[in-house]
Amino acid sequence: METMQKDFKTMTWVMIPVAIAINIVVGQIIFALKVPLYLDSIGTVLVAVLAGPWAGALTGLLSNLVWGLSGLNVTYAPFAAVGAIIGLVAGLFAEVGWFKMWWKSVLGGVITGLIAALISAPISAYVFGGVTGSGTDVVTAMFRGIGFGILPASFAQGVSSDPLDKAITFIVVYLILRALPLRFLDRFPRGTGAR
Amino acid sequence: MIEIDDFSFRYPRAEVEALAGIDFTVPAGQLCAVAGANGAGKSTLCYALTGFIPHFYHGDFSGSVRVDGRDVLAEEIAALAGTVGLVFSKPFNQITGARFTVREEIAFGLENLGLPRPEMVERIDEALAVTGLVDLAGRSPYALSGGQQQRLAIASVLAMKPQVLVLDEPTSQLDPVGTREIFALLRRLVGDGETAVVVCTHELEWAAVYADRLLILDRGRLAADGAPVDLLAAAGLVDHGLRPTRYTEAARLAVEQGLAPSGRPLPVTLEQAREFFR
Amino acid sequence: MSDPFTLYTARESALHRLHPLTTLSLVAFLFVLSLVLPGVWAPYLLYGAVLLPLALAGGIPGRFLRLSLQAVLPFAISLFLIQGFFWGEGTPILDVGPLSLKSEGLAFAARSTGRILAIVGSFLLLSFTTRPDALMIALSQRGVNDKIAYIMLTTIQIVPRFQAKANAILDAQRSRGLETEGRLGQRLRALLPLVQPLVLGSILDMEERAIALEVRAFGRRGAKTSLAELADTGRQRLARRLLVLAAAAAAAGRLALVFF
Repeated sequence: METMQKDFKTMTWVMIPVAIAINIVVGQIIFALKVPLYLDSIGTVLVAVLAGPWAGALTGLLSNLVWGLSGLNVTYAPFAAVGAIIGLVAGLFAEVGWFKMWWKSVLGGVITGLIAALISAPISAYVFGGVTGSGTDVVTAMFRGIGFGILPASFAQGVSSDPLDKAITFIVVYLILRALPLRFLDRFPRGTGAR
Repeated sequence: MIEIDDFSFRYPRAEVEALAGIDFTVPAGQLCAVAGANGAGKSTLCYALTGFIPHFYHGDFSGSVRVDGRDVLAEEIAALAGTVGLVFSKPFNQITGARFTVREEIAFGLENLGLPRPEMVERIDEALAVTGLVDLAGRSPYALSGGQQQRLAIASVLAMKPQVLVLDEPTSQLDPVGTREIFALLRRLVGDGETAVVVCTHELEWAAVYADRLLILDRGRLAADGAPVDLLAAAGLVDHGLRPTRYTEAARLAVEQGLAPSGRPLPVTLEQAREFFR
Repeated sequence: MSDPFTLYTARESALHRLHPLTTLSLVAFLFVLSLVLPGVWAPYLLYGAVLLPLALAGGIPGRFLRLSLQAVLPFAISLFLIQGFFWGEGTPILDVGPLSLKSEGLAFAARSTGRILAIVGSFLLLSFTTRPDALMIALSQRGVNDKIAYIMLTTIQIVPRFQAKANAILDAQRSRGLETEGRLGQRLRALLPLVQPLVLGSILDMEERAIALEVRAFGRRGAKTSLAELADTGRQRLARRLLVLAAAAAAAGRLALVFF
């Protein structure tokens, strides 16, 4: 409880909207560049590292809600729980120092991606009939074709994209942390030991 | 109103003190300007007077800072809001972003103070009037010009009725008209005799016209303290990394060229220059 | 200055005049219904007979319809192709080359599409007719931490500025000859010089923004008040209670069907 109070300082509250905006805008650019990734949780992971897992979770949760309510990607809102889990897990990896080395960041990203796939699959299967409405559905089709059920096929689709996506996200955050002045990192609840 | 006593501060990872042995008091009703070259410690002083040093910017400090009898170094920032107000140079960063109109933006601080609605409305109307924003009350803060946004930042802080208002280069992003408006506003503000205003600025000309007093900071130390006109006309000004106003420079040049008689005090403001060149 | 990142569209309608929490309860109820209604066609009925008329009453039927279809169409295509053709054991109704369309798969696709349509419709209805600031103030007045309101409202004002900044950076990169089209590798390489200034620039402003908030007593504990007054009525309060109860009952009913 006390650490939570320390994590939620004004700097954290100021950072969260900026982080959500980074999520949304970078996500849109990736989509516009037709890169087959999402990269829509860079802000979430950054908050998780600098202000802890709970702040990261809140960022992920609200990110999906804002995106959904904006009307731009209405179907993101039901995945708010996934956004929260990504922030939470990233924060836990930061707590044990996995953002201090590039290969640990990559590994942390892969594991976070697997967890994200695991949580998305039931939501996707129940709410969206197991499809994403995007190019990655080719993977779903393949797994359905070889006899997988809706839930396993949806999970397989997640596994085919999420770990790579989150590994790249984590490495981008690793690079950002290195580009920030120490003086600036000091301002955040967990910034001082972040890298 | 402000009592700062032998105050020193050093930022972490810094080798020299940003402020050293600072000692002065500002009574209510005084408009006190602070000048100094970049890096002289003006911003640090602003943060120290408002509690952001040591509570937001940590570091080693000694001495004491008291505002309205309260120990700034010991109290939480949240408890000081409403007693001290701070305005800085970039208008854009001072807009909260959480409100959609000028009126609501001013209300933000009052809502946080938990004021009842009728009092809020009264204070907002007053702040709008003082800063000349009445006609813009329904606009989005983001739809305002830089000068208007800066006046909004001041209005938002004024509505909280702080006894001490500290401004860190509030006009550095504004045009001459906007700059003059801000200084005139600060002058009116101390007129009630209840508020003390400290304004750090490079606009020495306007400081000379509007301020009661000038402090000059030089490498973290208080180098001079006196009437603006006296300090700005003094020959030692350049030693502190400051440039005399254009009127002083013009007059000095005129004297050197033999265009004006020597031996008279040099002008600092437009008014004095008119007198000098008559 | 671009408009906030929200769909809210000002209209003179009864729906717009509702207390934001009433709209929220209504939408929450419709959302739960979309998730739990049994059968293939019930969600379509919900969309056509409830959501669409509400959108009409709210004065936004055209955009509502267009955005719903835009959101649902890609899902519908994937669903009918994938679940229609790759439904393991099922009754074939049409053979296309080596694949065959199964009726069970089609039924599933139709059911899922209807559900997505109804969910999307309920979210859109909320976004179109509820002022985001009013909704957040209403939630704060009901005890939700006011920092959540700060985050949501600030975000929708920051996003358009970020979008403009990102476009400016993209244009600058294109004019310097950086490829933003072409091979995947090239497009990925365009990414880092784009993300970096965007992220770093905004992060450095945050310190001042935090100080500005503190000056405005943002961190003060204790009761806070609000300038805005939200019109509420006894009937709306009752309606909210009933809607929440109905949503809970619908969810419970569905769970009972699954377990017993």
